[in-house]
Amino acid sequence: MANLNADAQARSYDAIVIGSGISGGWAAKELTEKGLKTLVLERGRDVQHIKDYPTTNLYPWEFEHRGEMPYAVQQANPIINRCYAFHEDAAHFFVKDQEHPYVQEKPFDWIRGYQVGGKSLLWARQTQRWSDLDFTGPARDGFAVDWPIRYADIAPWYDHVERFAGIAGNKDGLPELPDGEFLPAYPLNIVEKYFQQSVAKNFPQRKVISARCAHLSKPNQIHIDQGRVQCQNRTLCQRGCPFGGYFSSNSSTLPWAAKTGNLTVRPHSIVESIIYDDEKGKAVGVRVIDNETKDAIDFYARVIFVNAAALNTNLILLNSKSKRFPEGLGNDSGVLGKYVAFHNYSARISAEYEGYADFKTEGRNPAGGGYIPRFRNLHSQETDYLRGYAAGFSAYRPSNSDKAGLGKSLKESLLNPKLGRWQVGSHMMGETIPKESGTVSLDRSLKDAWGVPQLKIAVAYDENDEKMKKDYIATMTDMFTQAGFTNIQANVSSQAPGLDIHEMGGARMGLDPKTSILNKWNQVHSCPNVFVTDGASMTSTATQNPSLTYMAFAARAVDYAVQEMKKGNL
Amino acid sequence: MNRRTAIKQLMIVAGGLALLPSCRGSVGEASIALENIQISAAEEAFLGDLVDAIIPETDSPGAKSLNLHLFVLKMLDDCHSPEDQQLVISALKKNADANSPTAIEAFLKESAYVEALAIIKRRTIQGYLNSEYVMKNKLKYELIPGRYLGEVKVQA
Repeated sequence: MANLNADAQARSYDAIVIGSGISGGWAAKELTEKGLKTLVLERGRDVQHIKDYPTTNLYPWEFEHRGEMPYAVQQANPIINRCYAFHEDAAHFFVKDQEHPYVQEKPFDWIRGYQVGGKSLLWARQTQRWSDLDFTGPARDGFAVDWPIRYADIAPWYDHVERFAGIAGNKDGLPELPDGEFLPAYPLNIVEKYFQQSVAKNFPQRKVISARCAHLSKPNQIHIDQGRVQCQNRTLCQRGCPFGGYFSSNSSTLPWAAKTGNLTVRPHSIVESIIYDDEKGKAVGVRVIDNETKDAIDFYARVIFVNAAALNTNLILLNSKSKRFPEGLGNDSGVLGKYVAFHNYSARISAEYEGYADFKTEGRNPAGGGYIPRFRNLHSQETDYLRGYAAGFSAYRPSNSDKAGLGKSLKESLLNPKLGRWQVGSHMMGETIPKESGTVSLDRSLKDAWGVPQLKIAVAYDENDEKMKKDYIATMTDMFTQAGFTNIQANVSSQAPGLDIHEMGGARMGLDPKTSILNKWNQVHSCPNVFVTDGASMTSTATQNPSLTYMAFAARAVDYAVQEMKKGNL
Repeated sequence: MNRRTAIKQLMIVAGGLALLPSCRGSVGEASIALENIQISAAEEAFLGDLVDAIIPETDSPGAKSLNLHLFVLKMLDDCHSPEDQQLVISALKKNADANSPTAIEAFLKESAYVEALAIIKRRTIQGYLNSEYVMKNKLKYELIPGRYLGEVKVQA
């Protein structure tokens, strides 16, 4: 017995963080900095910054298939193969279809990265703040539930995470996209600027700004202290960056947390459930299946942060059943796993511009170009659908060579490419409305290789999304036409939800425990020592890329949790 | 000689990419290891002449001396459907013994080989433009640009 106790003691920490991705990394950094012995559980393998980026310095000709995924791999992995970044240089950071099956009650492309750092290695690094126009959306437009916070609650935490992560951007002074603690922005190129001016003239309510992104355009001391240096404009980010030029858990929060001496990272640890003690009336730990030994091991802590990424966080909570919570941890309301939503990325548009033939660009832009914040239904309802969309906008000047012919003439033209016309493009990022029917649940019979029930996903587009998509195409076509762009091509894709990789909700925040899982501190209403600060906590989706908001929620929730622990409330 | 050097010397370099040589070693087989397609030495030789007709040797290396016929085979083997593979292999088989310059000319003009040629040509061009030779000496690839300039005047 004494041995058993000693053993349990060795598996006890002040805090456990489930997941090492973008939000888990932040929870770990904040907890360890505040002196808590913290265990980070990661289901995948370890990935150490730089050391475990095997492709990072490879030239194009050093890839066996010049970056292309082999035919057999594509055939065997139809889901992950649809992801834009699934190529030879980063395929090792993506989950293959057969390794981790799930049930698609409705088509859903679930894109996952199971390793230390999670998808923070792979993300598109776009970072915009929400505004009160977003936080008040559900209340104003009568969907989901009211957010229990407003911009003022989260603003200081946006400041906090931006300073550390390093966000490049301009102070644009837009109420719909609050300014932050920015490093210098990446510039718009000459055609992007031209479009910015054209839009300002023809549509004064609409803005084109430099995309804000998590790149060190000009590092501050805090970034150098992390061992990171200036972004070198490689735009090979998905391989992992040897410069630490963009923010990831691997390059930033996890090594920072490790320096405190308070961090333990345990890879290969698949979380089966959170252990709830009915007698103590609180969560006491986490049960994992060790991927190497297949043993079930319990770890204990006073406070637990769930950052497994939106849908896996739902899975863990649903699978954490006890006498007190027969339908999943914290699920008194019955809304756990419901109101899951995403971003509508299903339309894009491209065109050409004949102007500025005497200009080109040089180098590469890690920000990707421009960003058009939401302008539809901003201050009042204007359209026949709810909410609106943000859009990316970028222009580039391709260098083309004539590939017709054979022999010397072909070789000559291949070696002497000519600048083509400027190409412009935009893609929509639409807010979708969380609905009760948008669900994830546990399959009753199917289990994964570790005995954990498979996740069953039923999330779909609705009429609102269709109307919004039509409006995006019509509106952007109009803006392109006004700018004098030619050969305008709208491309409506049939991509399933999920491929946006912005799935959100299921354990939403709210004021009322009867209709939500988490309170305003991302704390489970009915199990206060468990916090959820990843995408699962989102009450609505807005149009912004969500990662920055998860980071801010994580830092804010840790601050609150530690105060509560000090007061003896946790 | 250390092990790494030994292995390197056993590799065949195609456009800058090291390929494993065929282990079968018998005369008359392809010179690199292939998983899905089978090709004879004669067919490989014909393909070599063909890629050289697409991108010939001039004052700079052509496709054959950059081993791009082996790159085409590698891509055909790994990155194409069985239908594509069949299409190209059968076209090569019919011409394996006809490796004179006129036979190459005839192949390039023969309408029955249009689809096979399109695949071979596309992969040859890809291998060429992405070869170490071209990316280092002709159209220089920057692994680390270190800059982004959004409005650069084109030199007349």
